[in-house]
Amino acid sequence: MLAVVPSATLYGLDGRSIRVEVDVAPGLPGFTIVGLADTAVQEARERVRGAIRNAGFTFPPRRTTVNLAPAELRKTGTSLDLAMAIGILLGSEQVRSGSGPVALLGELGLGGEVRPLPGTLPMVAAIAKRGIGRVVVATMAADEARLVDEVDVIAVATLAEAAEVVRGRRARRVPVAMPRVTISGVGSVVGEPAGSGSIREGEVVDLAEVRGQAEARRGLEIALAGEHGLLLTGPPGVGKTLLARTIPGLLPPLGDEAARSVSIVASATGEGPIHSLRRRAPFRAPHHTLSYAAMVGGGPNLTPGEVTRADRGVLFLDELAEFDRDVLEALRQPLEDGRVLIVRAGRAMTFPARFQLVAAMNPCPCGFAGSEPEGRCRCTPGEVERYDRRVSGPLRDRLDIWVSMPRIHAAALVAAREPEGSAVVAARIADARDIAVLERGRLNGRLRGRALRRACRLSGEAACRAVDLAEADVASGRGTERLLRVARTIADLAGSSAVAADHLEEAAWYRSQASRASALLAS
Amino acid sequence: MLPRCWPPDVLGVSATGPLADVEARAPAPWVAETPDPYAAERDAWTILTAAHGLGPLGFGALLTRFRTGRRILEVARGPDPIQRLMETPPVHERAGGRERPIGPAVAQAVVDAAEIGEATIRRVRQLGVRVLTVEEPAYPARLAAIAMPPHVLFVTGDPAALSMQRAVAVVGTRRATSAGRTTAGRVASALVAAEAAVISGLAFGIDGAAHEATVRAGGRTVAVIGGGHASLGPHAHTRLAAAIVAAGGAVVSELAPDVAPSRGTFPRRNRIISGLADATVVIEAPARSGALITASWALEQGRECFLVPGGLDAPASAGCLSFLREFRDAHVVAGVPQLIADLGFARPTQAGDALVNATSRTLGATEAQVASALVAGRITVDELVADTDLPVATVLAALTMLERRGLAAGVYGRYRPAGPLLGEVPRPKPR
Repeated sequence: MLAVVPSATLYGLDGRSIRVEVDVAPGLPGFTIVGLADTAVQEARERVRGAIRNAGFTFPPRRTTVNLAPAELRKTGTSLDLAMAIGILLGSEQVRSGSGPVALLGELGLGGEVRPLPGTLPMVAAIAKRGIGRVVVATMAADEARLVDEVDVIAVATLAEAAEVVRGRRARRVPVAMPRVTISGVGSVVGEPAGSGSIREGEVVDLAEVRGQAEARRGLEIALAGEHGLLLTGPPGVGKTLLARTIPGLLPPLGDEAARSVSIVASATGEGPIHSLRRRAPFRAPHHTLSYAAMVGGGPNLTPGEVTRADRGVLFLDELAEFDRDVLEALRQPLEDGRVLIVRAGRAMTFPARFQLVAAMNPCPCGFAGSEPEGRCRCTPGEVERYDRRVSGPLRDRLDIWVSMPRIHAAALVAAREPEGSAVVAARIADARDIAVLERGRLNGRLRGRALRRACRLSGEAACRAVDLAEADVASGRGTERLLRVARTIADLAGSSAVAADHLEEAAWYRSQASRASALLAS
Repeated sequence: MLPRCWPPDVLGVSATGPLADVEARAPAPWVAETPDPYAAERDAWTILTAAHGLGPLGFGALLTRFRTGRRILEVARGPDPIQRLMETPPVHERAGGRERPIGPAVAQAVVDAAEIGEATIRRVRQLGVRVLTVEEPAYPARLAAIAMPPHVLFVTGDPAALSMQRAVAVVGTRRATSAGRTTAGRVASALVAAEAAVISGLAFGIDGAAHEATVRAGGRTVAVIGGGHASLGPHAHTRLAAAIVAAGGAVVSELAPDVAPSRGTFPRRNRIISGLADATVVIEAPARSGALITASWALEQGRECFLVPGGLDAPASAGCLSFLREFRDAHVVAGVPQLIADLGFARPTQAGDALVNATSRTLGATEAQVASALVAGRITVDELVADTDLPVATVLAALTMLERRGLAAGVYGRYRPAGPLLGEVPRPKPR
């Protein structure tokens, strides 16, 4: 007998609605899956077989064929397990459908338990779009599935419970002695893979813990207020990473649209079950050994990379000069367009990648150039220059704010004023961002060309100063735009509607060491 | 800027092709009035400098034998050139050392150079390099007085910078400390105030700081480079070289434009640095530093030699100390004004103060505050903020403008006064 069960798979960041067709026919016992199923889907045969038997049903000793439609779409992952098992139960008439259409999403364990999946949110959204009003998911994934409005979510813990739902008898919980196992099925990555860059709640640092470094604190505040690219340079141990760890506490909460987008990415990349919309901007700090595919996304299943995981948030690259050149160059497109296009043989996919780049590096290979005691740096001037040049020109141009973090003397630390905490600074950042979005529709870091010039409203004196300062920054023709963008943000932080000369003067400060050195000669 | 060109008929090059174009844009009216008597010989010498391995010794021997550079070229282009060139006897039987000053390899190099002669001339002109031979009156007299002066000098910029009435070499290590760079800048600024040219080697570290401070203070400086003009290095100093020329200084080499600098060319170059100067000042030199070679050249050439002493444990000054211990003729630098007095350049010191006052008068209130904090030795932004009690944003804006006007400098988050501010004496600040 033929049974058709709706389900879905994950394709990149999108859910794709799938019809699972099961035909249980007379013939030699066998179990075949057709319809471009990858290895994880083929392995479902063993999970489904075990789950059916251990849930107290019988695997039909007949010729069982599963077709996954649309057949031309490549299916990956384990989201179809539950639908296949129910299909077999329906096809072998062990369960009779006593309810309306219901979609099923879940990975099965051999004991019959239903497990949550990465990508529940986009998959449920795809089912809703198909017009199916009810969906069965694993208990742990229920909160995530309920983020989709138009769908009635039914949580089940086991295959038997799911069968009850299909029968139309709801909710008598069938107690099953289910072993507490850690969830690590093929394709289902729950929890953080080693070396990945998400920051945990407890690792967010308050800005008050960073002593001294006035220049860097100010630079960070401007960068976050305007979503400007930021580079911190300094010897090891001056607190570059510590400062970066304050960022999650300084960013304002995300709006609805951004929160949905971030939640979908978090869901699809398997960051664990989501219980409510993610309002905190992502902060990703991948290690410098990561591969090209891990940065931009890709792989056989077109998995989103770090640039997409940092969408609407901050991508922090510690030890910038240690990253592979290819990996850094790959950042140029997303930095410009806010999205990344991945093309693989026969398939292309666009992922969102609107992130703010924050990077840190040492001034030279040994890290001690320009720091005390003199002569601690053992690098030759040529080595220092080459190290600096590892950050290519185009990437440099996209870093609006460069700050140096010198080693601070203990005496200076004691004498310094009590530093501001995150809450105070975060409020200023949020205000400046509100002004920018209200008046210009976007953050200043994304202003270009005429929109930028319109936004700056320079007085005569300020315009002269702008020309003067831009000429000093001889490194790049983009210098002027960079200067105006940063000055606009400084003016916003100061609550000034026009960009004044002293805003420009401060903005001119945040340029690269290289252009600082060459400006020395030009003047 | 177009190169200054000598007329093609003097060179024996026809005025067609790319050269004719250059001529058309840059007519040389002075030629008609005063025909240049050195032109033909100068070109011959220029061609000969391109011969790899032909040093001052070999060139001197060839000149003694054949009398003129043109004659040498004739021989090299004539029949059986290798044999005839190799027959050149040494100039002094004993002092020459080698039995034959011209070996087979060098002879071959001379023949090759003669063959591509016109190309060499064209190349020199194309780069806008002026050539001075030791025979000419424009050749710096100080340099002509040393043993083995370069027969040919390749100069960009104003050759007059080579022959200023006062000239002092300021040299030191490439790996200078920031204190060393500051000292170099102060010495150079003081020398500019004394109207002396500052001679150095365009290297990183002390050399660069000395050139830079001179240019900023509006003085003339001469950079003697270790390679030819086409391989000007280090790359990061090409802008500095341009600034030196723009400020009325000169960049000088004894090597043909396309010769790359190598291990051997730098010590050889150092004799020109000391030779162009009345005195050599070594700011910082670790043990076995190249700057010490310049210092010993200075002593050998009978010029004055000054070294800035450093702390006993300062590796960057170890070479200075051992040099002072070893050579009784070397002097200690005991303060910048004292150095100027020791050099015999003493002048009324008010000039320097007036400059500083004039500068500080034009500063805004916050800039002046930040400037005096810098002079008082506040290095980082944190210290400047604590010292001035101004908001961070204001301090950074003020620093930008000070930097823009050449009054502050620094990288990696540590800043120092520069230019005229260097002359300011830190005032104790009531705290």
